[in-house]
Amino acid sequence: MAIEFGLNEEQEMLKTMARDFLANECPMSRVRELMEDETGFSADLWKKMAEVGWLGLVLPEEYGGAGMNFRDLTILLDEMGRQVFPSPFISTLLYVGMPILAFGTDEQKNDILPKICSGEAVCTMAALEDDGDWWADSIKVRADRRGDNYVINGTKLFVPDAKSADYMLIAARTKRTEDPEEGITLFLLDTREVWGMLATPLKTMDETRKLYEVTFMNVPIPEKNILGELHQGWPIMKYIELHTTAALCAEMVGAGERAFEMTVEYLKERVAFGVVIGSFQALQHRAADLAIGLEYSRSLMEWAAENIKEGHPDTATSVAMAKSFCGDTCKKVVAEGIQMHGGIGFTWDHDMHLYFKRVWVDDNAFGDSIYQRELVAKALDEIHQLSGYGRWRRMPGVTGAVGQGMM
Amino acid sequence: MVSEESERLQALRQEVRTWLRENLPEGWGTPAYVPPPRGTAEGQAAGKEWSKKLYDAGYTGFTVPKEYGGIERPREEQAVIREEMARTGTPPGAATLGYLAVAALMRYGTEEQKKRWIPKIMTNEECWCECFSEPNAGSDLANIQKTGVRDGDEWVVNGQSVWTSSSKFADWGIVPVRTDVNAPRHRNLSFFVFDCTTPGFSVKPLRQMTGDAEFSETFFDDVRIPHGNMIGAEGQGWYVAMTVLEAERGGGMRIGEAAAGITVTTLGGVDNFVELAKNTKRRDMVAWDDPLFRQRIAQFAIENEAIRASTQRMRVKAMKGQLTGHEQSITSTYRREKNQRQANMVAEMIGASIQYMRGDPRALDDGSWTYTFLRSRGNTIETGTTEINRGIIAERLLGLPRTRM
Repeated sequence: MAIEFGLNEEQEMLKTMARDFLANECPMSRVRELMEDETGFSADLWKKMAEVGWLGLVLPEEYGGAGMNFRDLTILLDEMGRQVFPSPFISTLLYVGMPILAFGTDEQKNDILPKICSGEAVCTMAALEDDGDWWADSIKVRADRRGDNYVINGTKLFVPDAKSADYMLIAARTKRTEDPEEGITLFLLDTREVWGMLATPLKTMDETRKLYEVTFMNVPIPEKNILGELHQGWPIMKYIELHTTAALCAEMVGAGERAFEMTVEYLKERVAFGVVIGSFQALQHRAADLAIGLEYSRSLMEWAAENIKEGHPDTATSVAMAKSFCGDTCKKVVAEGIQMHGGIGFTWDHDMHLYFKRVWVDDNAFGDSIYQRELVAKALDEIHQLSGYGRWRRMPGVTGAVGQGMM
Repeated sequence: MVSEESERLQALRQEVRTWLRENLPEGWGTPAYVPPPRGTAEGQAAGKEWSKKLYDAGYTGFTVPKEYGGIERPREEQAVIREEMARTGTPPGAATLGYLAVAALMRYGTEEQKKRWIPKIMTNEECWCECFSEPNAGSDLANIQKTGVRDGDEWVVNGQSVWTSSSKFADWGIVPVRTDVNAPRHRNLSFFVFDCTTPGFSVKPLRQMTGDAEFSETFFDDVRIPHGNMIGAEGQGWYVAMTVLEAERGGGMRIGEAAAGITVTTLGGVDNFVELAKNTKRRDMVAWDDPLFRQRIAQFAIENEAIRASTQRMRVKAMKGQLTGHEQSITSTYRREKNQRQANMVAEMIGASIQYMRGDPRALDDGSWTYTFLRSRGNTIETGTTEINRGIIAERLLGLPRTRM
């Protein structure tokens, strides 16, 4: 299997269209307005996104989607990252739409997916709690059976777009066993007709992405709203984790590249000591390092997305590699972006801090660079044991992300 | 954009794999394998034999037309062969420096010059050396001081080079010479091929910090070079030399081919590192269980994967004609610095053992880690310092103005 990088004609069109759409419908002035807005959600913009087919981009045509693939989706996310685009797009499609398609009943699919595609349904997921970690034993919010229903009690944190969401996927504990991965159940809550749920905005760093504390007080959910099997929510969460992690890589690369372009433009125009500062070697060499990092970030990100699309057996490792590298690089790019802009880069009015905040938040989500590197180390360990040291390089069977990477 | 490899390519992949399994030296790819020391007659002979094997099998010489002894293959076949060779960290051939002359000849040589020299480079019958760096012209190559004075049909060349690779065994050399002392920088050089047996040319081994003498100092004392050996026009030497340097920095034409020298140590290493870390105790802790080392080793696996993915991406861009050629400075800088960081990590991990050199019975893997550690100091200097490459990235890829000195 040989993966070819680069975009085909259809993907080039998607990219161009996305860039034009974002430039026209959500220029930086609009981004700032949405930052100031309490929910950061524009129904008008959402409707337009539905019209151009973004909301159902990777959902099948039978539900009103565009039937495109995961690599196509990353092209869109890449462009959204460039614009630090504020919208419940990831919450709706990656947290809820794709998992429903993969694990939902026919009834759930027929009910929710067309509404996502048409823009009628904004969705989100309530998974994280007070430690902010996407780990099975962090999930403590309870769902207890009461008659034909379940009732949910407890508090979730870092829930994106909770006030604009019509549907919320909730990860709750339905059973406590020794294995924390056993006994988690995912419930789909229709928030438009619910009592006992309170969403309070969190005051957080990246204001282009609104996060909430959500408290559930005896919130009833019917059994038919369980996504997947009772007690078996964790594999679905792993599915969401994998896809969203790759999606965040695309967003980070887009944001990092745009921040870097702005920085290079500034280096070419800002004059100090009678010359443009881009002629200083101290800055040139650091800019070169960022260019190197971005080349490899993009390569790993695209490679991971292709792997997901193809269902390659080493997908999880290649996603971890991409997240680790893109996180490290893009954090450096946005930090240097501020530094190279000097004082102006530190102001509220300059856009650089928006990129800085978005990238740091993305890096942190689903495990930062350090956490991802440990996942890679575990994979290396497995390969080492599997292949038998010293023989693996002669083994024709060693293929895939890690095997090939080690060459 | 994933395509199943055609049966033809799969068959080729299998063929190359089988060939490599049967032809690579015994123990290749493990630290137990100790290559013949570089810069020795033994190393040279082994490299020459290996290069010839590769050529006879049809696995090198892709970039040169058949009429000059090259092996023309479709790009996708080249890719398969290079991938398989990189997977095993295929060793470099001794005469690889010939490819530098090929780069100059293909672009600037006359038909006669091409026919005369290229075929024997392809078959590795003749070896070449590159006399570029001088004591006062390394990164600042335009500062070459060697002079050439025209005398009838010949040029009389005087001066000195350093860091000449393979010169002890070379049959031919390439050298830029200052032929017009009054012309401005970049217009004052001419580029020559010379016969290494010419009277007045002498070689003195240059011992490097590893203790080996992989390179030499070479001296030109009234060396007479026929005018017919000038490549390109008089005064065009700087541009011919730049073509050579582009090829040397791992240009598009030889990804995974002549770069094998570094590929061996950079891409071959991660599983070796895991093995080493599992067998290294630091006080009461196995190094592989120490997050500081686990993190660093995992990072190298990520970086190797990044380099591999980026190489594929650049290959696609090259086919679409979207490369400027300067992208190789990205790969070159990153790969060489990574090699050095890897060697540093090993040195820090194995502690006191890093002191043992080859030949000491206590040396780990016959001192190969120590050798790599010391040798890697040169990686970020040879073929143009990484600083020069960062300058190229800044100016040529990012479009920043010329450096203010």
